Amino acid sequence: MTAIPVLLAASSVDTFIQTLFKALALGSLYSILALGFVLIFKATQTVNFSHGALALAGTWFLSMIFMDWDIPGRWLPGPNWLHWGIALLLAMLVTAVFGLIIERLTIRPMIGEPVFSMAVITLGLEVMIRVIADDAVMLTPRTLGIPWGSDTFKIGGASVAWSYIAAVVMAAFVFFVIWRFLRTRTGVAMQATAFDQEAALAQGINVGMVFAIAWAAGSALAAAAGIFASMSPWAAAGVASREGAFFAFRALPAVIVGGLDSVPGALAGGMLIGFVEIFAGQYLSGQAGILGYGYQQVIPYVVMLIALLIKPYGLFGTEEVRRV
Amino acid sequence: MKHVSKLLALLLAFTVVAAACSSDEDSSSSSAPAETEAPAETEAPAEEEAPAEEEAPAEEEPAEEEPAEIIYDYGVDEDTIRVGAIADLSGPFAPLVVQIIAAQTAYWDRVNANGGIAGKQIDFWVEDNAYDVPTHLERYEEMSADDGVVFLSQSTGSPHTAAIAEALVEDGLGAIPLSWYSGWPDPEFGENVFESYTNYCYESINAVDYLANNVVEGDAKLAVLSYPGEYGQDGAAGAKIAAEALGIEVVYDGEAAVIPGADQTPVITGLVESGANLVWVTTAPSLLAELMGGAAATGFEAVWSGNSPTYNYMLLATALAPILDSSFYQSTYNLTWNAGDVPGMTDMVATLQEAIPDDPVSDAYTIGWTEAMAAHQILEAAAASGDLTRAGVIAAANATTVDYMGLAPNQGYGGEINDYIVRESYIFDIQADLFDAAATISGGGSTGSVLMNGGPYVSDVTAAHVYEGACFVAE
Repeated sequence: MTAIPVLLAASSVDTFIQTLFKALALGSLYSILALGFVLIFKATQTVNFSHGALALAGTWFLSMIFMDWDIPGRWLPGPNWLHWGIALLLAMLVTAVFGLIIERLTIRPMIGEPVFSMAVITLGLEVMIRVIADDAVMLTPRTLGIPWGSDTFKIGGASVAWSYIAAVVMAAFVFFVIWRFLRTRTGVAMQATAFDQEAALAQGINVGMVFAIAWAAGSALAAAAGIFASMSPWAAAGVASREGAFFAFRALPAVIVGGLDSVPGALAGGMLIGFVEIFAGQYLSGQAGILGYGYQQVIPYVVMLIALLIKPYGLFGTEEVRRV
Repeated sequence: MKHVSKLLALLLAFTVVAAACSSDEDSSSSSAPAETEAPAETEAPAEEEAPAEEEAPAEEEPAEEEPAEIIYDYGVDEDTIRVGAIADLSGPFAPLVVQIIAAQTAYWDRVNANGGIAGKQIDFWVEDNAYDVPTHLERYEEMSADDGVVFLSQSTGSPHTAAIAEALVEDGLGAIPLSWYSGWPDPEFGENVFESYTNYCYESINAVDYLANNVVEGDAKLAVLSYPGEYGQDGAAGAKIAAEALGIEVVYDGEAAVIPGADQTPVITGLVESGANLVWVTTAPSLLAELMGGAAATGFEAVWSGNSPTYNYMLLATALAPILDSSFYQSTYNLTWNAGDVPGMTDMVATLQEAIPDDPVSDAYTIGWTEAMAAHQILEAAAASGDLTRAGVIAAANATTVDYMGLAPNQGYGGEINDYIVRESYIFDIQADLFDAAATISGGGSTGSVLMNGGPYVSDVTAAHVYEGACFVAE
């Protein structure tokens, strides 16, 4: 009960606005991550545990492309933000190619084998990608050249980071693209494959191609989430560092709450978990002595448990979905 | 298929680049591990023989005449002295430790070029513990074996060194920890752990005192943010000792509240709402970035500082640079790269410019260089006394005061703890415009840290502190 007066005392319009934008931004990042998980699960019925490592690889691809090789700035005139935006898309593209190769070499041969085996393979991939990526950059944290750095703007007395806005815009962009994609012929084929692989094959759908597209899209989304999660004031202030690989696991409750096979669920689950985590962190901070330090890590899982008790397949999940 | 082939080719190109980078790193550290050789034969100690009387040779000069008779047991033979380092070459502190080992390697290479110690070449043997305690124990087993080393010039990590502290005594082996926990000087913790420089606790007291009285405007209101564990809470304990002694109000106590991997909103909220104007942090650089960035995003302003290695100069290459420049003060146990006009710095910079000219500038080199200086001077003293057995090296360490040539306060080990424990530390102002992320050692350069107070600083509180054990002990 003591939490209520503390919550009220801490509340001010400015604080609320700051917290709201922060929650929107974290929710956006979780949603992008969740969407990547969902796309791969929809196609392959596998939870991709290497999602975080792909996110990390994506950040390093951006650092190499933009900072080391000055692409596209070395050829293309124009402002820095434009160069960075193109480099971002290139990094996502390279990560998508990376995902394609992973799928072709390690997942495609497992079609028809137990889903559990595929999930364990992705766990192994997580370790391999992270360690190889570490070696590739000589263990040195790498900067991403974020154009807006740690700049903020004011709404009344509230100070809001531009990175928060960027994360929300990125989430809106990728959800729009995926929403449009799922309405294309290939997108419909993907949904049919997710519903019944054998029936899809019988209808002449190239299931292998669907797998490949899902892994490519999921990997590109992982890269986007990793890059935006590396911005100031998030974890590493514009530095791609190995800690980034573990950020994806924080989105797992969002994936489960939303429903493992649901695109709207990824958005809803991500936003719900992001809001709960940030608002609990903000307004229960005075109770950390009672709740225990790190309580904000536990709350998303409490929400996930409650949601699963009410809706065992997630808020938007299909009931036939098998869990791993 | 054509399209897929192009994509595969692109990825192959990335793989080749990655492999090239990887092999570069391998080559930079490949000199470290030495092949295991047959154990040295033990010569019977000739007790009746007087130890050689020669003084230890000056650091720059070639070794003088070998003592008439030097006894030895493990890790030493006719021609070599094997010195070990258990380092984090692939774990979370690898970026720092790889550079520390590079400086040590350059130091020992120079010692060997100058004739070694008592005519014996130094065989510097490095093993990776990946910042994992069980791995550290395995590496220690190898190095403490009969064909192991005579001394460990580096044992990376607080819990890791604590895990081998008893074994060090049993094996009669000495080690310099790459950790600054205030428990190391305590004989109950391990008589054979020879700490370098001051500790987290005293460092915190010094910096909080200096910043509260010289940088903060008006009365200081202190916030303490730390990791849980020996590192974080030893530093936090020191900050609170300073606050109590100096009458500084602690407006936010976040000791052990910074949980790695979690969203830091609760800590940032507590900090911002406390109204603190002085923030003391004991975490890793990535967490410092998140805490400073998160607080700054709300408009929070204060003087920030923290225990080493909370800060890393590479943060100046990030979006946080303007905030660090205006608000952060670096605290360290020794001089940072190319800062301070002392003979040791001139010597180190010149040597590294010759040895590793293309490596990036870094504050970590001073740590590796001074660790090697300490081990070198201890081994020279042991050789001069005619006893290079492990026991002889321990005895020499306890009788040695290491002269760091101005790179850090001189370090003694023997006698009453309160007489020799190092209490001084250094404070630096951060000037981001001095730092160039692309700078290499060949150009000298700077990591952006500008020494304040003209040299090491000791608070009256630290000077008067009676050491009776660690400031923080886990229960």
